[in-house]
Amino acid sequence: MTAAADRLDPGAGRSSDPRRGTFFLLSIPAVVGLALFLILPILFMVALSFRADLNGTLLAPFDPTLKQYDKLFATGSYWNLLGISTLIAFGVATIATLLAYPLAYFLAFRAGTRAGLYLILLLVPFWTSYLLRVMAWKLMLGEAGVINSVLLATGLIQHPLEALLYNRFSVVVTLVYVWIPFAMLPILAAMGRIDTRLHEAAADLYASPWQQLRRITLPLSLPGVIAAFFMVFIPTVGEYVTPLLVGGTGGTMYGNIVQAFFVQAANWPLGAALSVIMLLATLVLVIIGIRIVQPRRLLGQ
Amino acid sequence: MQPRQARSAWRGFVGIVSIAFIAAACGNTGAASPTAGVASEPPSATATPVITDTPPDQVTGSLSVLDWPGYDDPNFWIDFKNTYKNVNVSFEFGSTDAEIYGHMKGGSQADIFHPYTGWLQFYVDEGMAAEIDTSKLKNWDKVPDSFKKIGQINGKQYFVPWDWGFSSILYRTDKIPNVDSWNVLMDPQYRGHLSMWDDGPGAVTVSAYIHGYDETNITADQLAAIKAEWTAQAPLNKTYWSAPADLESLMNSGEVWAGYAWQGSFAVTKGAGTPVAYANPKEGRNSWIGVYGIRKDSPNYDLALKFLDAKLGLLTGQNLVNLYYYGTTNQDVMNGLSDPAQAAAYGGADTQALLKNTFSIDDPTILQHTNFTPNLTADQRDAWTAMWTEVKASQ
Amino acid sequence: MTAAVSPVRGKRLGGRSSGLRGYYWLMLALLYLPIVLLFIFSVNSNTTLSFPLKGLTIAWYTKLFATPNLLAAVGRSVVVALGASLIATVLGTMIALLLSRFDFRGKGLLTSMAILPLLVPYFVLAVALLILFRAIGVPLGLPTIAIGHAVIALPYTTLIVLARLIGFDRQLEDASMDLGASYPATLRLVIIPIAAPAIASAFITAFTVSFDEFALALFLAGKDPTFPVYLYGQLRFATTLPVLIATAVLLMAGSLTLILAANRIRQR
Repeated sequence: MTAAADRLDPGAGRSSDPRRGTFFLLSIPAVVGLALFLILPILFMVALSFRADLNGTLLAPFDPTLKQYDKLFATGSYWNLLGISTLIAFGVATIATLLAYPLAYFLAFRAGTRAGLYLILLLVPFWTSYLLRVMAWKLMLGEAGVINSVLLATGLIQHPLEALLYNRFSVVVTLVYVWIPFAMLPILAAMGRIDTRLHEAAADLYASPWQQLRRITLPLSLPGVIAAFFMVFIPTVGEYVTPLLVGGTGGTMYGNIVQAFFVQAANWPLGAALSVIMLLATLVLVIIGIRIVQPRRLLGQ
Repeated sequence: MQPRQARSAWRGFVGIVSIAFIAAACGNTGAASPTAGVASEPPSATATPVITDTPPDQVTGSLSVLDWPGYDDPNFWIDFKNTYKNVNVSFEFGSTDAEIYGHMKGGSQADIFHPYTGWLQFYVDEGMAAEIDTSKLKNWDKVPDSFKKIGQINGKQYFVPWDWGFSSILYRTDKIPNVDSWNVLMDPQYRGHLSMWDDGPGAVTVSAYIHGYDETNITADQLAAIKAEWTAQAPLNKTYWSAPADLESLMNSGEVWAGYAWQGSFAVTKGAGTPVAYANPKEGRNSWIGVYGIRKDSPNYDLALKFLDAKLGLLTGQNLVNLYYYGTTNQDVMNGLSDPAQAAAYGGADTQALLKNTFSIDDPTILQHTNFTPNLTADQRDAWTAMWTEVKASQ
Repeated sequence: MTAAVSPVRGKRLGGRSSGLRGYYWLMLALLYLPIVLLFIFSVNSNTTLSFPLKGLTIAWYTKLFATPNLLAAVGRSVVVALGASLIATVLGTMIALLLSRFDFRGKGLLTSMAILPLLVPYFVLAVALLILFRAIGVPLGLPTIAIGHAVIALPYTTLIVLARLIGFDRQLEDASMDLGASYPATLRLVIIPIAAPAIASAFITAFTVSFDEFALALFLAGKDPTFPVYLYGQLRFATTLPVLIATAVLLMAGSLTLILAANRIRQR
């Protein structure tokens, strides 16, 4: 039923399509906006990466040079860090998506009329400042923090655990915590359009809830899951605030390095070159991901 | 407005230290020592009068200041505010020297900006700083010559020095009995209990002090050795700190036993009751000075000059000392700290004895021990900051 | 025989829901734990964020209202977030409609462009936009921040609305057009109302993204900081932290009240 309706009319968008006027009305602001405020600045950034230094005014013409890229390729630790950051992002995205899925399921199918309220309750912490929430995690994970205090009080440990904070572990925990509600939203949206009559029909045919999950819910919510994964994975590769606050010296991520060149070192060209590399790397990962996942097949087009 | 907690005990702290500083400086340049009976003006309750062509109340206009967060507090420009009531002052912020430089580079329209020593050369080289007409600064004669020189590049006065302080090692006396060298930051026995400032040039200078390198001429080999040293040091830290508050809370909780610190952190932690001391390492402390500059093409040059003049005012300087524990370049403010008649302006006399004890105020040689941050060239800045980034990336 | 038949309204399926319900409440508790901590410190009379707690006080809350810079920063954040969310939601809905309803040659390109902001670290985009605004002579201020925030919120709004629009029964649209409605009218009367929950969700997401964002706000702000920028600057001073935390707690409480009220109204 819906699958057939999903396929677009072959004439959609062509000159014979009566919706042509609307098409232009919709597309022009979007394209112009994106071109002007996204593509153009990124091109400026790429151009900046070919600049030797920041001498002279910002917009002055300059002789392009590969100096920044030479420096990049000569520094193995940056590439290493890029790989590690990608792995961390992958881990965070996977965990967040896994943890978010049951939440979305609950809200979509079990919460009943209260679903809206429950959703709001979940989202509200995210109107608290991100910086302060991360700082709160410092209070939880620190040596004198909540977790250690509880563990010490119950006698489970004798000395406070030092390994909870200022390392990769704290970065992952904090990031997962931050991303779960965001990961839940696309999954919820996808589940929202699953027709529950499918579940009823399956139940009438003696399918157990697990079978319903596996055969109906999971496949139909998969676009949402994919969207959630990428929505978390991609920005996390370039994440820097959380590693800065709770990562200590061992939890540095690639984003910290890029940020350092803009904010600590005033070396924008090198920072730009690092950003270009990160953009390319993420692009490659996304392309690989899309190949694997084949959303066209999922979306029925 | 920061709440004044148990800090009243430490208001005189930096002033006391700066007495020794000024005394030695004056001794070096041959000017009269402030303790040799120079009559200091009684602190006036009103602002330092600044003579202008038009009466100050009638001066209108607006100024934009690019400053570090916190300095927008009217206490830190109170003399200007009280005198020029009809001038509108707004603030842009940068939290590091690199950010301030970035803002200026990015075309900020701020009239005034506030960099620190080490980061001054390129503003002049790249034509971003206007020359300061010191004849129009009524408070200029209150600034010691050694400070004036800090603001001079290529023989011309481009900056007005305003605030200053030390960098040294802050340590908990209950965990480490005595620290007498910068080397403590490299000591593996304190693994997990150290904290270094997250700054490349800062790291380079520490290494230079330890190994006796010439800061103004670090060779490529030396830089490589420095990088190796700090790469090995990185796991010894609990974490790096970028805002003093980070270090202070780690020190107070006892997680960090020794860290690179500015003197304000000493005041704050001591005021919180933590058993700390501020080291006098054998290689010498570092001293940094903050300066104000006027943007080259600012249309408000004269008004900006009045602002800088007012910054050197008495009340402003007193507020800086009392609220931030930073030194100020107005010598009268510093002199006032050793004048019992002015004790009310700075805090009780009972604090002075404690401070003298802790800081060897009677040591006139402190200045000989202190290393001043030299100015970096753009290449050095890039090399040193890149080195530090690589250290962080290799963990 | 098998699980109970679900009532049509409310989508409550039978079966083991106590485990899921328990999971929800557990996650909620975990999510709120840092918030509770923050709240505790906002009424703690100690100025430093450490245990043990000293006395209780509401001094930080009263002090909050006496700090004009702080209040102004919050106000600016609200204004910027409203503007950015509006732009991002409208544009995102447009793009979602294009991607789900039309077939055209640049479709893949448009998708990539809409998702692209996710790949770019915020401060990279910030510097890039800074260069752009300088180049075209636009002065920095709240509007420039709003533009930056709209760009970074766009992937979220697009994806959220798109997830809703994909595969929803196009027969409704076709029926509408068959009955003589023009496409714009169909959009207005059929598609948008059906997509309305997703559009609202997109707006709220965009608002959240913008309100809390500080890298772009830092670079593109010019003279007036938004709340996160102000907060970041104040982190240097431990003594101001309790007031800032009190602000954050109040903001959260305020938005919770607002949303709950809106929800109540909606259900009437």
